[in-house]
Amino acid sequence: MSVLTKQAPAAAATLAGPGGRPGRARPKRKNQRSGYLFLLPWFIGMLFTIIPFFASLYLAFTDYNLFTEPNFVGLANFQAMFEDPRLLQSLKVTFIYTFVSVPISLAVALLIAIVLNRGLQGLAIYRSVYYLPSLLGGSVAIVMLWRYIFGNDGIVNSALGFLGIQGPAWVTDPEYALSTLIVLNVWTFGSPMVIFLAGLRQVPTMYYEAASIDGASRWRQFRSITLPLISPIIFFNLIMQLIGSFQTFTQGYVMSGGTGGPADSTLFYNLYLYQKGFTEFEMGYASAMAWLLLMIIAIFTAINFIASKFWVFYDN
Amino acid sequence: MMKTVNIPISRRLALGAAITAAGLALSGCGGGSAPAAGGGGNVELNFVYWGDSNRAKMTDAAIKVFEEKNPGITVKSEYQDSGPYADKLATRFAGGNPPDVLNMANRSLLEYAQRGTLADLKSFPEVDLGNIPEAIQSRGEVDGKLYGLATGVTTIGMVVNKTITDQAGVTIPDDKTWGWEDYAKFASEVTQKTGGKIYGAGYDVATETGPILFARQRGEDFYTKDNKLGVSEETIRDWFQYSVDLRAAGGYPPAGFFEQVGGSAAQSYLAKGTVASQIIPINNYKAYNEAAGGNLVLLRMPGETTEQRRGYSADPSMLWSIAAKSKHPKEAAKLMNFLINDVDGAAETLTQRGVPINPEVTEAIMPKLGADDTKFVQMVADIQEDELAPAYVYPKGASVVADTLKQLATEVEFGRVTPADAAKTFLEKSNAAINK
Repeated sequence: MSVLTKQAPAAAATLAGPGGRPGRARPKRKNQRSGYLFLLPWFIGMLFTIIPFFASLYLAFTDYNLFTEPNFVGLANFQAMFEDPRLLQSLKVTFIYTFVSVPISLAVALLIAIVLNRGLQGLAIYRSVYYLPSLLGGSVAIVMLWRYIFGNDGIVNSALGFLGIQGPAWVTDPEYALSTLIVLNVWTFGSPMVIFLAGLRQVPTMYYEAASIDGASRWRQFRSITLPLISPIIFFNLIMQLIGSFQTFTQGYVMSGGTGGPADSTLFYNLYLYQKGFTEFEMGYASAMAWLLLMIIAIFTAINFIASKFWVFYDN
Repeated sequence: MMKTVNIPISRRLALGAAITAAGLALSGCGGGSAPAAGGGGNVELNFVYWGDSNRAKMTDAAIKVFEEKNPGITVKSEYQDSGPYADKLATRFAGGNPPDVLNMANRSLLEYAQRGTLADLKSFPEVDLGNIPEAIQSRGEVDGKLYGLATGVTTIGMVVNKTITDQAGVTIPDDKTWGWEDYAKFASEVTQKTGGKIYGAGYDVATETGPILFARQRGEDFYTKDNKLGVSEETIRDWFQYSVDLRAAGGYPPAGFFEQVGGSAAQSYLAKGTVASQIIPINNYKAYNEAAGGNLVLLRMPGETTEQRRGYSADPSMLWSIAAKSKHPKEAAKLMNFLINDVDGAAETLTQRGVPINPEVTEAIMPKLGADDTKFVQMVADIQEDELAPAYVYPKGASVVADTLKQLATEVEFGRVTPADAAKTFLEKSNAAINK
């Protein structure tokens, strides 16, 4: 059981083979070595990010405009943020997007994982089919496709029209544009789903057998066995999705042609950061924004870790 | 025990993710530029511009001519769509690796020039300005230095699909005398007579060239001589109000109709046949006419005789500039000179980027032009027959002004703000951006 939980974050990798059987502990040293081996690409990538990382920390306190030497301006960039209505708008967009789409996509992911876990024929195919969108969701082509699907003559409005409903302008109406992107994000539930699936497969069947002998209903089994046992995986997925969605960029950029429009309704935080840095040439301000985002993500992650004490169950 | 295993991994992931976020700022700090080489041997010039594949084909042909005439210089060119181009250009400069010769938008010229990133074209003996009219030069001039030369001259015009109006039985008004009311009446009639299948008007409210002309007709300079915002709140309000009224009357499509997937002529609503008229930069007349079935009539903008004064100006469609840090300034200047003065080069690019700014070049290529391009050149000449009020370089911050206009146009379109409030906000935000 201990190995099971330990490997949970890497469960996606485990999934490739048939569900690993618990109880076959390897020597610890060897485990660690392979762990670092898996982390190697990240360490290499780190070399390329560490310099910009600190550079941006410095630039956050300057008026750097991309072309001329930066001048130190103290906290001016951070002060200016408080008076920037578009920054507030971008935070609003990002928060709405995150707090609506993350819970929904996790719920959908878990639901599909449970259905798939019931031993379907051709599981591998279904798994791939559901996983595919999450590989594509952030890509330019899919966002373009989304524009057409939800466009005025797209299949969504055609279907609604068939039912006699005049669909709204999903992409160009500021009231609807963000919801279209939320749907896109929910659609990419594949990667949490795969991790859920791995987790579900490692819940020992003997628990369910015992529970059903005791006469527990399916719902009861789900609540008292499945949920507690996969709660570390829910937690992991929650954190990952949260961080990912705070950093949303491509969807907003492509959908609005880089403007965050219509009327700033899809102005994601990172999109605004990008605009500040590369179209308004206020790289100092953009760097400060990056650090604010880091703090926001850190705070939400910390809150989650604290809250996790009350609902995440580690089976010792 | 489990916790201790789980948490660090997640933390590490969180940190990694956060680093990525901070890493967005990364491109801001590229390395310095290599030392200047120049002179003997083979020199490779970096040449970048925006446009589509059709423009690229013509440009490539011109580049070949340049390379033949200038042995020892090869030109490596690259193009993107205008939006991505603008973003990429900023990172090229910021990375200390600017292209030698480049396309510059009117609205970005001062942004770059006032930061010392562009070379003064007057400082190159290779660039012959002898035939270039003063008025054209002034549109690339800042504090007496020439940072950009027009790739060509263009202006805006109204194109109407005559196939649609003929079928609907609507007469196109005389564009020599028509006013904005005439256009509104005409557009609404088209919508009405086609049973609402085709909208009479389909111009873009949010592109600044429209309100710039509109403001000039009312005696205002949208951008003034001293690089400020000169347009009044009332003018912007009326510009928005006009589209609101036209929509209410049926002449203009409902809110959300324009999705603007791509900006090329082939993807336009004119080409789809869902609108009967549109405002276009008229150097694109040929492309639009081909895309829309070949029966587009090129007209002057409404209001030229009914308002206070003529609103037209002959403008650079875009500019050519040389980077101050170009490693091969001499060769870059040669290419610049070729782009504006060479007849054989112009024979390949024709009027793709506007009417050539050297009149001798224009004269030489006239016989090579097709009917559509000839119409375009003729119209640019016609509008300049009367004296037009001078037009000026766009101020620093003009790209923020353009974005603000786009944003507010959408707010007005969906009735989220009134034209009056939008105009007020427009002036506040634009002035803030320009005076920063």
